[in-house]
Amino acid sequence: MITVLRIDDRLIHAQVVIGWGRIIKPDRIVIADDHVSANAWEKSLYMNSVSPDIKVSILSLADTVDQVRGGVFDREKVILLVRNPQNVLTLIDLGFEVDEVNVGGLHYGEGKEKLLDHLYVSKEERSALRELVKRGVTLEARALPGHEPVILNSRVV
Amino acid sequence: MNGTADDTGTIGIIVTHGRLAEELLRTAELIIGTVKDCYAISGSDLCDEELVQRIRHIIVDSGRAHAVIFVDYFGGSCCINSARAIDGIRGVKVVSGVNLPLLLDFLTKQGKMGFEEMVRHLVSRGSESIKELDF
Repeated sequence: MITVLRIDDRLIHAQVVIGWGRIIKPDRIVIADDHVSANAWEKSLYMNSVSPDIKVSILSLADTVDQVRGGVFDREKVILLVRNPQNVLTLIDLGFEVDEVNVGGLHYGEGKEKLLDHLYVSKEERSALRELVKRGVTLEARALPGHEPVILNSRVV
Repeated sequence: MNGTADDTGTIGIIVTHGRLAEELLRTAELIIGTVKDCYAISGSDLCDEELVQRIRHIIVDSGRAHAVIFVDYFGGSCCINSARAIDGIRGVKVVSGVNLPLLLDFLTKQGKMGFEEMVRHLVSRGSESIKELDF
């Protein structure tokens, strides 16, 4: 089962592997990303960055939905990572069901709007967040499990 | 960039989470005095693209033959983005698990060995400095 679906533009990094990993104790981390899954070099970069006791899958968005719906992860605790809210919308469009999304890390870049200290969004990201709210998804923002969650819904509509 | 035995043309770039890079550099300066040609970057607040660009800019702007990038955590974002930054650039290596002993060796032993040898030396110096005290 998907224990947490997290939006994080870094995908796999220390905050996810250690910060969330030590609380959730996942069997597997899944990166759902069309760019990384199609790029062998990028793929190996992420594959090699996690200790062997956690399995890693790097899948296209479509394959992710197929495997989730096909029950591939039913017996595992899974952290599912996407790089932006647009990809959450795509997962939903492809048949993925989700009530709550962890908005974990969207880092500063030029022209981005600041939502919280660890959240900067482009126009496209902001409107995708808004669309997620319209579809009934709770946007729960926090970088780490021990942080106080901030519900973003009223801030992006 | 080419591999000459002369190592005077090497810069260091420390890329870490939080303020660790800056403080490592500052602490090294407490021990050996003012340091040149070594840069500190915090990866924490930058998006991947900005971090990659910043690392590349320092390497190219230095005009030096070689660079060693020191990162704190193997597999972390600083490590991954350093790997991206040096893709296609020769004469640059990334060393993870940066600690004070290996950084001090890098800063004080430049010019005493070739670039490749220096990188090998730093990796073993860093590992060997981690041990249980048995006095």
